Amino acid sequence: MHADVFQTLADPTRRRIVEALLGGEQAVNDLVERVAIHQSGVSRHLRILHDAGFVEVRPDGAKRLYSLRAAPFQELDEWVTRYRELWEARLDRLGEALERRQKARKERN
Amino acid sequence: MAEGLQASTGAKQRIKLERHYKKASVADVWELLTTKEGIEEWWGPDGFSVTVHELDLRVGGALNYAMSATAAPQIEFMRNAGMPVTTEHRGNFTEVEPKTRLAFSFPVDFVPGQAAYPIETTVEIFPAADGVRLIVTLDPMHDAHWNDMMVQGWEMELGRLERSLEKRLAQGS
Repeated sequence: MHADVFQTLADPTRRRIVEALLGGEQAVNDLVERVAIHQSGVSRHLRILHDAGFVEVRPDGAKRLYSLRAAPFQELDEWVTRYRELWEARLDRLGEALERRQKARKERN
Repeated sequence: MAEGLQASTGAKQRIKLERHYKKASVADVWELLTTKEGIEEWWGPDGFSVTVHELDLRVGGALNYAMSATAAPQIEFMRNAGMPVTTEHRGNFTEVEPKTRLAFSFPVDFVPGQAAYPIETTVEIFPAADGVRLIVTLDPMHDAHWNDMMVQGWEMELGRLERSLEKRLAQGS
């Protein structure tokens, strides 16, 4: 699942779409204008984002309005937090290893 | 919600960790970061042991290691998660400046949720008056990876374009 989250956001156009949606829900036409690529491209990326759970859509008359869902972004945050914790612990162990070396050197002298 | 989204998508998920190792020497830090024995001593995580199989300290060189659960709770955890007790990890050095700067690109290597997604990590070493200051930058969305994928996307598009041109030429003749 983590890989999916990253893979989905790996595409720069999809990231631009997501950034454009940060301000709130939007119709495809508005997104086409903001992201500056052809409508078929925006529609294709919206479908991928929708399938991956990043966006949801609701009808508004003849228009379809797209907006972001929080879940995958929360997952991304949790994932990054766990990765950070892994490295925090790793750097603590590096500090312990350094201390062992200093101590061993002192004992030798 | 908007704030959380901003944090996730705005700019990049770059994380800076900083440590000040008092009385430590730059030489020791470099050795622990770049030798088989050094890395095996601290890479971890807790309850796991690391065996470095290949270490080629130059840009593009391999850093391959096996990570094995050794403590009972970790072994049980891996088994319950349906994962092997030992996992192989393959990375590459992307920057090597002796005793100053080291960068490597690695697949995600924490447990659980192994995913073959490379993460760029940069380690900067600064001598301090009473030891060593270390800055580690974790960059899960490093530009190189985004660019790679973008290039791949383009190559696919161009390949398609070429094929359709060939088809047209064939039809025209």
